[in-house]
Amino acid sequence: MPADTLPHPSSAPRRLTPGRACLLLGLMLTALALAHLHAGPGLAEGLTALLAAPGSAADTLVLHFAWWPRLAMALLAGGGLALAGVLMQQVLRNPLAAPTTLGVASGANLGLMAASLAAPGLLALGREWVALAGGGLAMGLVFLLAWRRGLSPVVVVLSGLVVNLYLGALAMVLLLFHQEALKGLLIWGAGSLAQNGWQDAAFLAPRLALGALLATWLLRPLRVLELDEAGAKSLGVSLKWLRLGGLGLAVFLTGCVVSVVGIIGFIGLAAPNIVRLAGARRLGARLVWSTLLGALLLATTDQLLQRYAGILPTLIPTGATTAALGAPLLLWLIPRLRLGGESPPREAHAVGTRHPAPRRLAAGLAIALLGVAVIAALAGQGGDGWQWASPANGELLQWRLPRLLAAAGCGVMLAIAGTLIQRLTANPMASPEVLGISGGSAIALMGAIFLLPAPGNLTLVGVGTLGALTALAVLVLVNRKSGFQPARLLLTGVAITALFEAIKAVVLAGGDPRGQQIIAWLSGSTYYVDATSAGVVAAAALLLTMAAAPLARWLDILPLGGATAAALGIHLRRARLALLLLVALLTAAATLVVGPLSFVGLLAPHMARLLGFARARAHLAGAALVGALLMVLADWLGRQLLFPQEIPAGLVASLLGGAYFMWGLRRL
Amino acid sequence: MSALRRPLRRRVARPFVAVLALFFAALALLCASPAMAAQPRLATLDWTVAETLVALGTPPAAVAQVDAYRAWVKAPTLPDSVTDLGLRTQPNLELLASLAPSRILISPMFANLTPRLERIAPVDNLSLYSPGRDTWTEMRELTRRVADIVERPEAATRLIETTESRLATLGERLDEGTPPLLVVQFMDARHVRVFGDNGLYQAVLDRLGITNAWSGTTNAWGFALVPIEALIGLDARLVVVEPYPAGVRTPLADSGLWQRLVAESRGAPLTLAPVWSFGALPSAQRFAELLVAALENDDAR
Repeated sequence: MPADTLPHPSSAPRRLTPGRACLLLGLMLTALALAHLHAGPGLAEGLTALLAAPGSAADTLVLHFAWWPRLAMALLAGGGLALAGVLMQQVLRNPLAAPTTLGVASGANLGLMAASLAAPGLLALGREWVALAGGGLAMGLVFLLAWRRGLSPVVVVLSGLVVNLYLGALAMVLLLFHQEALKGLLIWGAGSLAQNGWQDAAFLAPRLALGALLATWLLRPLRVLELDEAGAKSLGVSLKWLRLGGLGLAVFLTGCVVSVVGIIGFIGLAAPNIVRLAGARRLGARLVWSTLLGALLLATTDQLLQRYAGILPTLIPTGATTAALGAPLLLWLIPRLRLGGESPPREAHAVGTRHPAPRRLAAGLAIALLGVAVIAALAGQGGDGWQWASPANGELLQWRLPRLLAAAGCGVMLAIAGTLIQRLTANPMASPEVLGISGGSAIALMGAIFLLPAPGNLTLVGVGTLGALTALAVLVLVNRKSGFQPARLLLTGVAITALFEAIKAVVLAGGDPRGQQIIAWLSGSTYYVDATSAGVVAAAALLLTMAAAPLARWLDILPLGGATAAALGIHLRRARLALLLLVALLTAAATLVVGPLSFVGLLAPHMARLLGFARARAHLAGAALVGALLMVLADWLGRQLLFPQEIPAGLVASLLGGAYFMWGLRRL
Repeated sequence: MSALRRPLRRRVARPFVAVLALFFAALALLCASPAMAAQPRLATLDWTVAETLVALGTPPAAVAQVDAYRAWVKAPTLPDSVTDLGLRTQPNLELLASLAPSRILISPMFANLTPRLERIAPVDNLSLYSPGRDTWTEMRELTRRVADIVERPEAATRLIETTESRLATLGERLDEGTPPLLVVQFMDARHVRVFGDNGLYQAVLDRLGITNAWSGTTNAWGFALVPIEALIGLDARLVVVEPYPAGVRTPLADSGLWQRLVAESRGAPLTLAPVWSFGALPSAQRFAELLVAALENDDAR
């Protein structure tokens, strides 16, 4: 496995060595820095400002207290993150492991949010500890999710994505209800490197030095991880403790950096990979060159940003910018990774037992759905407390019925999309959200809300569809060569989702009051549905479900692996493309109504499986029913729990879904 | 599934029932409170409109996010009888419809809700802080439009006159030598919102005859988000509008840049109680009162 998953060294240009890459970046950085000093007080004074607290001249003051510390901080943070990235990639034997992809940053984010709302005293004690605790917990969760699958690369990255999405959903709930109180954290979440003295650099430097020292000490044992499991064990090394040590160190380094400057995306992923592609093989060399390259990469990006983005009235945070730049890099990297080909997935055995009479089960589910729908339509709180409305109360039902219908329709569509994608990829953690189609349409919608004056709902729908189709086009373009190989497909989704997260961070960090609207939509509510759009959603659900039904044969065979499917006469490429297109349509239609953050697509197929729907056709029907049931329930609960405030259905569904996911870990 | 359900039910059911009972008790208490006096029943999603309505003597029957209004706008206070509509971006439509308001007042930010709200009552969209328009003129217009909606134009005249004459008095009370001011609000230990053109604070400073030291660009809401270093070299006195976010004061005390900024500025920074920075006349007057009081207090020392 380890040699398979490394980027293919022979594909790298021969002339590029790690040393040359660093030299190039170093020269660029020096030139930018010199240009800045030259434009300011001049070279000599600029250099003296580094060492001594200057007089009262404004430009040297800024140099001493802001510019130089910022440069130092960029170098430190970049180096620290790159070092952490190498450690993670080495321990997990996974070139796609990085501090942000494994949930450390979003855990730290949620920890800080919760602390500033519930226990601000903790922040006064030291936010780095809060951030560290949150990050550590999130990463622990990722490992729990992936443990049973032997921390295999794709599963770890996907667990990271799911944890990122889940923690992101939780953070979204907090943001939705406490936007004013959390606006400062939004800047932190986008990773601004601005400094106002040397104290942060002084905090970070000794901790990173300690981390680097420990990394050197771990160097020899960590090299053992390059051997296979049996080989390592025969050398008498405790793999478990070694992994824990290496990852613990990586989390510590990341936590320190993140607590000081906020979330900086992709340096920890990019630097080690660039160094490896440039030809550094041995762990020692990779550690040294990656740290150097990461430091220079972040500092150069930051210098460029300071030079060209300083004129805007809003802040363009460096961390989110690197993340946005990193997404294309990841997309470029994906076709260059070897992921273990078309072997059938390990957990192809069915979860749950097959129900003897799926029809009866489905009928039961349908009756349950009907019951919940009646309750959701008629029971609810009003100004005078709980009421049971009469079915003839058109005044009230005009609000409830469209939402009910839309929730059910979205549930059906996401469930079917989830079933398709899980069967297509034979991966139990795949879901339409993971493909990045939701992310694509979310990016487009954010653009519309911010760039168009008072956009109407019709415009938003159009723009959102366009975004979803663009994401689909990227998916197809990147994966065309590999014949839509499942693992690659999912990684493309990870990259698109990362881009979405980065753009969201930049948009929200500015503190524009319209950010509220973005948050409200992103959290996935049926709020904006009216009778017409509910009708459209229901019709789309019906049509697309009918389109999915005839594909059941493919879905029965594809989970057996590419080779088996091809042997049984399925044109793999065509089948995968067709299914993918259907998934994209289903996801886009549902996302436009309930937003990008729902776990229904993940959850419903699982639950249907557990209930005993085994064959593809039954699985589709069961998942559709479960999905509709879940969404209707989530929508109704969300409207009642905090009445009169409404928790968006998408968030309630993700919270339910996340809980289920944790519970289901034991079986995975 | 049943394996999950059984322990869950045992663990969750009892506290859940207790919470539910408490909830209904609270709800019953709420419903027992006296009904509102007969008035045009207005609902608004926008806090700026809400504060204007209160100042005009015709408080709205329903406002979105009442608790957050009380935390961030503070004054003028909403009556206890006001109904909370839920989130500003997603007010509870069933509740709103059941209140049967005579009109619903919104600002352009919520324009995408208009078709929905119009099914409940006529909707008025009131704009403030439009780019390129004089903020004070717009505030006066907003006040008049709101007063026309509640059919009390004389109240608008009165509010505008008292606010303007109060600001004039406050302006006269200031020394000739009041230095230019730099109005900031901390976002975290390294970033501030600095307020300038097209904002409430700027409009008040103008009327008080005080120079705003920030002449840089601002966004449509009258502020720019900047790192602290952007404030260096401006010859001004700092005005910090509270609240300080949690955990900001300590790192700020350690910050060399902030210390130098304070040392180089014209006098110690003034700290003002929270004022809604996107408000209308009532918030404007509150800001003026707080600012002038802080300046005078400082002179007395």
